[in-house]
Amino acid sequence: MAVVATFAYEDAFLAAAEKLKSSGFDDMELLSPIPLEEAQEILGLGKSPVRRFSLAGAIIGAASGFAMCVATALVFILPTGGRAIIAIPPYFVITYEMTILFGVLFTLIGFHVVSGLPAWNDKPYLEEANIDRFVVVVDSGSGEQLAQAESIIRQAGAEEIRHVEVE
Amino acid sequence: MFDHGQPSYAEVNKDVLSTMLETGRGYWILLGSTMSVAGICFFMPWIYQLFVGIGAAGMNRNSVWGTYISNFIFWIGLSHSGTLLSAVLHITNSQWRKSIYRSAEAMTLFSLMTAALFVMVHVGRVWFVHWTFPIPNQMGLWPNFRSPLMFDVMAITTYLTASSIFIYMGSVPDFAAVRDASTGLRRRLYTIFSFGWRGTAKEWHTLGWAYTFFAVFVIPLAVSVHSIVSWDFALSIVPGLHHTIFAPYFVCGAIYSGTAGIVTVMYCLRKFLNFERYIGQEHLNNLGKLLITLSLIWSYINMLELFSTWYGGTSFELEATRFRLTGFYAPLYWEMILFCAFVPLLMLSRKIRLSWNKMLVISILINIGMLTERFIIVATSLPRKFLPDAFGFYFPNWIEISITIGSFGIFATLFLIFIKWVPAVSIYEVKETLNPLRRNG
Repeated sequence: MAVVATFAYEDAFLAAAEKLKSSGFDDMELLSPIPLEEAQEILGLGKSPVRRFSLAGAIIGAASGFAMCVATALVFILPTGGRAIIAIPPYFVITYEMTILFGVLFTLIGFHVVSGLPAWNDKPYLEEANIDRFVVVVDSGSGEQLAQAESIIRQAGAEEIRHVEVE
Repeated sequence: MFDHGQPSYAEVNKDVLSTMLETGRGYWILLGSTMSVAGICFFMPWIYQLFVGIGAAGMNRNSVWGTYISNFIFWIGLSHSGTLLSAVLHITNSQWRKSIYRSAEAMTLFSLMTAALFVMVHVGRVWFVHWTFPIPNQMGLWPNFRSPLMFDVMAITTYLTASSIFIYMGSVPDFAAVRDASTGLRRRLYTIFSFGWRGTAKEWHTLGWAYTFFAVFVIPLAVSVHSIVSWDFALSIVPGLHHTIFAPYFVCGAIYSGTAGIVTVMYCLRKFLNFERYIGQEHLNNLGKLLITLSLIWSYINMLELFSTWYGGTSFELEATRFRLTGFYAPLYWEMILFCAFVPLLMLSRKIRLSWNKMLVISILINIGMLTERFIIVATSLPRKFLPDAFGFYFPNWIEISITIGSFGIFATLFLIFIKWVPAVSIYEVKETLNPLRRNG
């Protein structure tokens, strides 16, 4: 069983979230139609691990870009006008592009890994949360704890409170 | 920011989604027309050229590059403002970006696709185009990564990939809004497109970080792409092309024509999708100021190119410049100067900057000038390099002209399809610019 509460106002929603957090409801979810930095702060979401994926991608891209140029030049040695077989200046361009390509691709992977998306399984969700309502979901804890959560939410000024079965 | 009063959150959803979910007869007529232009003017001549051979185009021994390459540069250039501008304005947290960036990014994507088509048209035997990919061919031979053409392949592939991811990731929350507003097959499709997005704080947090990193990667990428396109020319020793200024010249020109393209697209969005409420005079004013700045930089670089040629005093360079300024294509050169250096100065007047009709005309003239610029670069250099006994002449024939016209049909078709599949204005980012929903207002 989960408590799903809808708020019409951002400040009431944030006040409820803060109170719930201080009461020990660490697993709650906060749904909003726009990104809210305050909500992220309440949940203690600091620097995202996505940045590590970006860095790893950029490093792997740079190394593999340069390696690809060198390896392909050595597979079939093609001397032209006395130029170096392994030529650093032109290979730098390919390295640069591959750094960015892999950086972007790894950031994309990082987004999916960290956010847990795609997630098509049924989780508590209200369509209004993507329009103009703010939603708090508390779906862990005993019946007593859920009753306490509901009381906090009600005091904060929730517009509507529903009880939803969760898997 | 909002010329006709601030909408509510729900109105933003309704206004934007209605452009996708409600389709009038006019849309189908317009789509049919653009598809016809693309089919008749682009694909039919191309198929003819495929059967007859590349000799069907007007290129010849002296002029191995022609309109296809100049169009390729034009479309790559047009692609430059969307993603780049969006990324720069995202990093600097500019609020006015939020209503216009989605369509600007789409412009990038479709311009790039059109540009890529020109590469295929230009190479002639398109079935061998995979030889340019970093894979060994059937003889075990790899592409030569010392060639600027390979730089180009890598840069454009990266740019296309990064731009696609950039626009897609920015649209995920809006795909969820489409999912919620639709039923049946459309709902199932958008459930997949939106990855099951619910708008949790964790999802927003991760998207925010990832999106910022995409932006950080895209900015140097966009600059590198047109620099590399310029090196296709500048790394040769052909008079008129061998200039160190070419990379900044191309990048500046690309952003310039792309920004003008954004004005044109914004005009159409306002007019045909009724986005007057979201795309207002503030956007036009800011884009106008940007265009003036870019116009001045572009003019300065043009003067610099002439100065360095004169100061260098090389006879080959002087002859190439003389031909450009006073030869057969001189009217086109001066038309370019008029449209790209003088006409934009009209925007110094605030009255003109705030007039949608006048700005539309100016933006189209700038892009005509920029299309001409790319043609001049190709047509006045390669056919006339070094010794006069090797001089030739290039003039596009009907196939090349037709394919050029058809490319606009392709771009318009792709854009028209886009506005029915992706919200043309970012729903959640427009909401961010509204007054927050607080109890005390």
